[in-house]
This record gives sequence, C-alpha cells and structure tokens, in this order.
Amino acid sequence: MLTKYLTTLSVIAALLFTAVGCGSSMVIQDVDYSQPIESVLTPDADQVIHDQRFAIKFSIAKVLEQEGIQSADEVRLIRNRAGYYFLTAKGFNNVYVFKPGENELKKKEIIEISSEGIGDPAFNQRDRYIELVDRATGQTYNLDQTGRR
Amino acid sequence: MNVMNIYLKTYTLLFAILFIVASSTVFAQQSDYQIQQEFRTELAELSERVELAVSTEELEILEQEIASLRDRYAEHSNIINAAIFPETFERMVSRVEENRAASADRAAVIEQLNERVDELTAEMEVFRNRITQMSADAEDLQDQIERSAASESRQAALIRQYRQNLEQRDTFVSNFLEELLMRYQTMDRSTQEELADAAERLEDNPLDLIKSIVAEYISVADQSSGLEAPDYIGMRAQHGYFSDVWNRIGDRLVTTFDPEREVQAKQEVEDLLAAWLASVDNRLWDSITTAFNQSNIQLGPFTSPETFNTALNNYVDGAYELSLESNNDEDYTTYRNFRDFWNNTVKASWGEALTEGKILSQSEIAAIDIKVSNWGEAAQPTSNLMFILFLVSIAVIIGLVVLLITKKN
Repeated sequence: MLTKYLTTLSVIAALLFTAVGCGSSMVIQDVDYSQPIESVLTPDADQVIHDQRFAIKFSIAKVLEQEGIQSADEVRLIRNRAGYYFLTAKGFNNVYVFKPGENELKKKEIIEISSEGIGDPAFNQRDRYIELVDRATGQTYNLDQTGRR
Repeated sequence: MNVMNIYLKTYTLLFAILFIVASSTVFAQQSDYQIQQEFRTELAELSERVELAVSTEELEILEQEIASLRDRYAEHSNIINAAIFPETFERMVSRVEENRAASADRAAVIEQLNERVDELTAEMEVFRNRITQMSADAEDLQDQIERSAASESRQAALIRQYRQNLEQRDTFVSNFLEELLMRYQTMDRSTQEELADAAERLEDNPLDLIKSIVAEYISVADQSSGLEAPDYIGMRAQHGYFSDVWNRIGDRLVTTFDPEREVQAKQEVEDLLAAWLASVDNRLWDSITTAFNQSNIQLGPFTSPETFNTALNNYVDGAYELSLESNNDEDYTTYRNFRDFWNNTVKASWGEALTEGKILSQSEIAAIDIKVSNWGEAAQPTSNLMFILFLVSIAVIIGLVVLLITKKN
C-alpha cells in the first residue's frame, strides 16, 4: 500500500518537475528583429532620441561623448536581424552596435569607419547584414554585430 | 583651334552632365530611407498639383508624371511599403491616380460649362443686339407714322411696316423662348447646379434678358399707335405664350440664374408679365369693339375675356330671339353680316391668337358657333307661297263643290 502510494507521488512529482523545467527553458528560435528601413531621428535638447514608429527612446549623450562632439542634428538608427541596434550620425567616426537589455542598451561593438568622420551616412537593411553608405563618398560598408564583414 | 575648343567644351559639359546624373542616381539609390523619402515627397508634390490643377491639359501631364513615378519606384515598393506601413505603395499611388481622374472629370465638366457660358453670353449678346435693333426700328417707324398723319397712304404703308416689325420681333422672341424651353425644361438638377455656379460669371443671363424683353413689350403696347384689333390680339397671344413658357421653366431659371433671391426674382418677372397684360388689355378691348362696330355689330361693353364672351353670347342670343319673333329680311341681313364677320374675321383671322391669348377658348368659340347656326335657322325668312297655294286650292275645291251642287239642282 505504502509502495503504491510512494510510486504515485513520485510520478506526480516527476511530471511537475518536467513541466516546470520545460517552462524555464522555452526558447523561440530564428526571431527576425530586422527593422526594414533606418530611422532618422533628431535628438531633443537633452540628447534624447525617440523613435515612435519602432518604439524606442534613449539618450545618445554617451555616444556623443565618445565621439567627442557636443551634438548631432540627425541620428541614424537601424536594428539588424539578430536584434542589435546600429547607430551613427554625420561626422561620427564610428558605428555603434548595441544589444538591448532590460531598460538598457549595452555596447556590443564600436566599428570604426573613418577617422575623418562619415560624410553623409545611411543604413540599409540587407539580407544578412547592415549596409552603411557614405553618400558623400559613395563608399559602402557591410556590417554586423561583430564588426565589418 | 576654335573648333577644337568648342569640341572640348562640349565634351566637358556632356561628361559633367553624365557624371552628375550617374552619381546622383547611384547615391539616390543607395539609401533606402532616402528612396522612400523622395517617393513620399514626389507623391505629395504630385498630389498637391492634382489638387490645384484646373485644366484638363494640366491633368493629362500629371497623369503621365504619376505613371512615371509609379514606374520609377515600383522596384522599391517593398522598401516603401515597409517604411509607410500600414499604408502601401500601391494604395498611395492609386489614391493620387484616382484623385487625378476625379479632378480631370471635374475639370472637363468645368471646361464644358465655361464653353456653355461663353456660348450663352454670345447668344445673349446677339439676341440683345437684335432686339435693340428691332426696338430702334419700331420707334423710328412709330415716329414716322405720327409725322405722316397728312398722307393716309403713306401712313398705311408705315403701319404695315410697323406691324411686320412687331411680327418679326414676336417670331424672334418665340424662337428664343423655344430654345430656352428645350434647354432648361429637361435639365437635371446636377447640371442646373453646375450651370448656376458658372452663371455667376454671366453678365447678361437669360433671366435678365427675359425681363428686358417683357419691358420692351410693355413699352410697345403702351406707345403703339395705328394698330388694330388683330395686332393687340396677337400681342395677347404672345403674352400667353410667354406666360406659358415662364410657367414651365421659370422656377428652373431663377434657381439657376438668381439662386440667392429666387422668390424675389420670380415675382419680378411675374409682375412684369402682369403689367404687360394690363398694357395690352388697355388697348385690346377698345380695338375689338371698334372692329365689331366697323362691321355694324354693336356688342355690349366688355373689358375682359369673360365679359367679351358674355357680350358675344348676349348679342347672338338677343338676335336669335328677335329672329324668332319677327323673322324678316332685315334680321336675316343682320345674321349674315354677323356670320360673315364671325367666320371670316374672328375665327379665320383671329382664331388662333384668340385662343393663345386666352381671350376665347375653343369650347367658347364652338358654343357660339352652335348659337350662330341656330340663329341662322331662325333668321331664315319662311316663304308664303305654300300658304297662298293652300288658300287657292281650298278656293278651287269650294268652287268645284259649288259648281257641282249648282249643276245638280
């Protein structure tokens, strides 16, 4: 009788553990975060940009500090398939790659493009990478979250 | 050397143009964001031009430009769709195309209306000029008639000419009214409203023209001299026709050409029509009395269609009674005189105008016809020959009887 009772209890416990275990490890694969077209955003007086279409808002003060400039008229932002944000602006030397987290964007990579500053940058979403175009020079750069491809 | 320079300059220029075109194309196509921005800008600009376009030519050019925009951006439609979601490239371009088509339809209608307004203006001008000319001729003839009182034959000739002038005017005005009837009687509401918009630009619209025509008619009726009953009966017929046309299209005309003061405008024309009738009637009844008197027919007094009809009926009824009582040659002569005047003048010459002018209706004329016919039978003097023959026969029979009795005895 006791054996039977213990066996039933063990089966129930095993089932519960399996269910809980399954829940915690559920991962959806092959998510496409890609933003089809770049956002061209104008920072406000507090250097905050707000992309209403793709629903993101953050300060670029640290980026400007990194670039050593006071302000930027327009900032270009795009998100790649993997979910990383790419940010640059006219006159920037680099493209900044951020990984989104809870209430944060964490620097993943700073990709140096030109020590002279990018003349007229634009991001294009491509199948497997982000294309950076410097329309001032006509040069293009293929980027991902790890750097130049 | 100079030729070389020219060649060099030309090549440099061509190269520069090619470079600019090529580089701008390459750069423009390198930014997806820019492509969709340019698409939006160009489409918005075209859309605005469609809104502002007023001519069909302009809208035809826009049709080509929209088609060109569609062709140029079709290959980028995916990028554009992504950028303008939930809108789509197809929907946005189609919307502008539809707006353009609707504007083109509107512009075509407006152009058509403009043409109609121009035509109408030209027609009005021709009409007014013609009427003015006729009025001037009529006034001139009127003056001449008054001046030529000394010469009866000349005056008669002038009166004939004046009468012709009035007849021409009546024909001309009737044609104009016919045209108005055709144009406005069957006009649907939307055309009427469109024409009303366009009519604001008309300096001389049909409504004004009608008012001036009626005013002219009043003036003619008031000032005419030397005219006789048929002329005034004709004027009343013209008034009847005019009133009939007005009753049929008056409402449409005021709605179209004076929509802001419809009631007032209608009343103005109706007042003028009433004044015209009063002016005609002022001369008409006297002239008819004179015409009957000249034929030795003494009708009782009359001053309206009703009293004229009563006077005629009273005359015929009275004469009929008299003929029944006396049945003499004089009655028969009176009857023949009236019958001839009634048939040859009143019915044959005036008949149509009398009914059109609402002086006598067909049924009233027919009723008098019957009475005249009865009068004819009553007025016909009966022969005494039969009575005499009867008396002779009786006398002969009595004679024979007397003779037979005498012989027997």
